[in-house]
Amino acid sequence: MEEILTDNTPVPSGRIRNSNLAQAWLVLVLALIIGAILAAVQVRLSPIIAANKLNETLEKVPELVLGAGSAATRPSGLEVDPGTVKIEKDGPDSFYSVFHVVSKGAPAGWVVKTVGQGYGDKIELLIGFNPDITAITGIFVLGQKETPGLGANIASLKWRQQFIGKATARPLSVVKGGASAPNEIDAITGATISSRSVVGLVNRTTKDLAGKLAPEIVRFSRQVKKND
Amino acid sequence: MGMTIQTMMRDVLIALAPMVLSAIYFFHWYAVKQLLTCVAAALLAEMLFTRMRGRKANLGDLSAVVTGVILGLSLPGTAPWYVGVIAAAIAMGIGKIVFGGLGMNIFNPAMVGRAFVMIAFAGSMAASGYVASRLNIDIMSQATPLNAHKQLGAVVSLQSLFWGNTNGSLGETSALACLLGGLFLCIRRVASWEIPAGVLLSTFVIAGAANLMNLSSPWTVAHHLLGGALLFGAFFIATDPVTSPLTPGGKWIFGMGIGALVMLLRLFSGYPEGVMFAVLLMNSLTPLINRLTIPRPFGGV
Amino acid sequence: MTDGPTPTERFIQGILPENPVYRQLLGLCATLAVTNGLKPAMTMAVAVGFVLLSANVIISLIRNLLKPHLRIVVFTLTIAAFVTIVDRFLGAYMYQMSKALGPYIPLIIVNCIIICRCEVCASRQSVFTAAADAVGQTIGFGLALASIAVIRELLGTGMLAGIQVLPAAWPSWVIMVLPPGAFLTFGLLLGLINWVDAVKSAKQGRKG
Repeated sequence: MEEILTDNTPVPSGRIRNSNLAQAWLVLVLALIIGAILAAVQVRLSPIIAANKLNETLEKVPELVLGAGSAATRPSGLEVDPGTVKIEKDGPDSFYSVFHVVSKGAPAGWVVKTVGQGYGDKIELLIGFNPDITAITGIFVLGQKETPGLGANIASLKWRQQFIGKATARPLSVVKGGASAPNEIDAITGATISSRSVVGLVNRTTKDLAGKLAPEIVRFSRQVKKND
Repeated sequence: MGMTIQTMMRDVLIALAPMVLSAIYFFHWYAVKQLLTCVAAALLAEMLFTRMRGRKANLGDLSAVVTGVILGLSLPGTAPWYVGVIAAAIAMGIGKIVFGGLGMNIFNPAMVGRAFVMIAFAGSMAASGYVASRLNIDIMSQATPLNAHKQLGAVVSLQSLFWGNTNGSLGETSALACLLGGLFLCIRRVASWEIPAGVLLSTFVIAGAANLMNLSSPWTVAHHLLGGALLFGAFFIATDPVTSPLTPGGKWIFGMGIGALVMLLRLFSGYPEGVMFAVLLMNSLTPLINRLTIPRPFGGV
Repeated sequence: MTDGPTPTERFIQGILPENPVYRQLLGLCATLAVTNGLKPAMTMAVAVGFVLLSANVIISLIRNLLKPHLRIVVFTLTIAAFVTIVDRFLGAYMYQMSKALGPYIPLIIVNCIIICRCEVCASRQSVFTAAADAVGQTIGFGLALASIAVIRELLGTGMLAGIQVLPAAWPSWVIMVLPPGAFLTFGLLLGLINWVDAVKSAKQGRKG
């Protein structure tokens, strides 16, 4: 902003009035009041924001493991345990957020949160696996900034449904128009790069976690019960 | 040699005839439909927008027809009618009239229109939009040569690229037709030969260097020169006198810049072809090139 | 300090005659960034409105204590406080919208509309005038955002505020919801408004 007001107020005389502190008293008082208000707002709202973030993931977990149909019936006795798993690789170790789903005491599957580079920006995925990580039970796009109308279609139900039931033994591959082999995924028309990013992310996650996910390996942070 | 806008545009239309004919020969009805749509929409848009500015529309100078034909030839035959109409309206409206009409525009109008629909309707304009397996025209069921190479590593024979029996934008497939029309333009001095020469030279050098680094690649320098929209772009799009530099030296720089950008996009970007973006980018540099290459009188301001 | 536009004048001027977007060309970052849909655009307008009203009222209340060389610090401090409140509020109660708007809510801090109104109006006029000014400017800002967002969302997706309006066969003009669509739409609307003005003043000139 250009300075429009002219500095025409007389300069206060005297040593105390001239000191920086005396001139800035309004700024200091305001800063104190505002700081107090913001602290109160933060204390009040930050747990809600944290819960929103967790819920966004947790809400999708039953659907990804049980399928949309049976998840909609709100099965009782479903437990979701969030935890982390460390994968040791050549480079720096990578950590995955995983959710172990237990239905009526029996393991129902896993949901893994993973992030990778897409065409526009990072793509954040949730991938559902069956209990022994031999098949994918569903994927969900938590966050993406791909091109609207093209790459953004990776979030569409129709495209994501292709992943349901795919075996993890062989890596998935992207084909253009007419996936026929069991490990093939149809690319979105005009968005080959976004499609490849998602499939590559799924493959990498599967490879990293195959054989690594067992309830005794994963460090669970706490238990969240879904009994409603 | 007195050239009016009208005689110049008439020469351009004559030069475009080989491409129009080859397009009709290879794409049948789809070429006719696309070209008619684009020309009609361009004329209508020109009339409408010049009226809005309170001027009398001068359709007789044929410039709107030329823009319409070039635009039509740069689209795939499969693109739905509204793609041609919107591209023509954007070309005349945003590409030309908002800058003040013919002679005032910074960017090649046909390429502005094409860029708009390419991003707006990527479904029918991206490489996969060219492929229409249901149609009874064989070449339209194949991938375009550049895309087939980029995605699948397949190679189309040089003969096909030369005669034009491949898939692609209507006017770009036949290298022979582009050369015939282009040479006519250069001989008639409607187009400056320095620009296509610059485009071809820098493409040749960069494609040659890429070829030398990977001798086993089946996609050779000749493929780069004959394939895609390179010849069509070099002779008909880059040579637009309004949006290209004025001096011979500037024209060389302009042409070589386009060739370099085309090769950069073809080799390293996600797009199989880059002629449109290359021309638009160099259009934006034209005033700068003019500034650098037009000599100023000593002591002048 | 007491003479100056009245509250009613301030209110009316903000809507069209001194529209923040089309007349003063302020707040264009937000204007271009969040107008790919009517919903985010209106959320942005409300958020800016809340910050503008709060900042204007506070600045007007303490206007006699302001020292000229420290006033920008005070403006920024006040604005930043309310922007933080809005940001946290959206995160807590409109989580998806907060994710969609991303960095553009925190960026309200540097939205020139607010600092301009603090400078031009709130730091010189009474609380009531400052509040009327804030409301008028907010309506003007909201209308401007809506005009761009309606065109972009309708052409770009065939929807309005997420509800399908045009027939499903509508070929979405994807470019309209991308950044180039924002520049094109804003440029053309700005041109249209100036054109209408030029025609109007030409007519008045002929009459007079």
